[in-house]
Amino acid sequence: MKNKIKIFRAIHNLTQEDLANKIGVTRQTILSIEKGKYIPSLELAFKIARTFNEKIENIFIY
Amino acid sequence: MNHQKIKIIRILIGIFVGSTVAIAVNRENTFLAFAGVLIGMLFLFFVKKKNKALLYDERIKSIAGDAARFTYVITTIVFAFLSLMFLISSKRIDSPFVEALGTIFSYTALFNMAIFSISFRYFNQKY
Repeated sequence: MKNKIKIFRAIHNLTQEDLANKIGVTRQTILSIEKGKYIPSLELAFKIARTFNEKIENIFIY
Repeated sequence: MNHQKIKIIRILIGIFVGSTVAIAVNRENTFLAFAGVLIGMLFLFFVKKKNKALLYDERIKSIAGDAARFTYVITTIVFAFLSLMFLISSKRIDSPFVEALGTIFSYTALFNMAIFSISFRYFNQKY
């Protein structure tokens, strides 16, 4: 699943590690999600969206 | 303590346990082997408990599940195939040892399947 996490990370000036620590996952998970290799659970997707103060639809492209 | 440091500590503990067991085997000292493994396990337990960095998230859980399923399929098929080979060979060779080995492998394969069925049913009801 495509997503704009990298863009929103840049907007909020967050590294992958920072985002991972904020939402409680490993940096590898964030990397896999950004590359589209791993589809996050609904809970994780909500956490990412809330971190960026955005709707899920704005971050993940289904 | 971050993820990388925990990884290094895990490797060092592995080296410690491995070398302790190797020395214990060399000196034929069972107690040393048990002590080495126990110390390694305790140390790793305390490191994980004390540290607040995340070690196990949903992606790792998903990967572990896929790896476990893959392992189950491979081991069950291998055990079943080996048991068949040994049981057929025992008829030709007429060896009770080979027949016993074939029987053990076949029961191991059945045990694998039984455990998988039970755990599948348990998680199916849970979720």
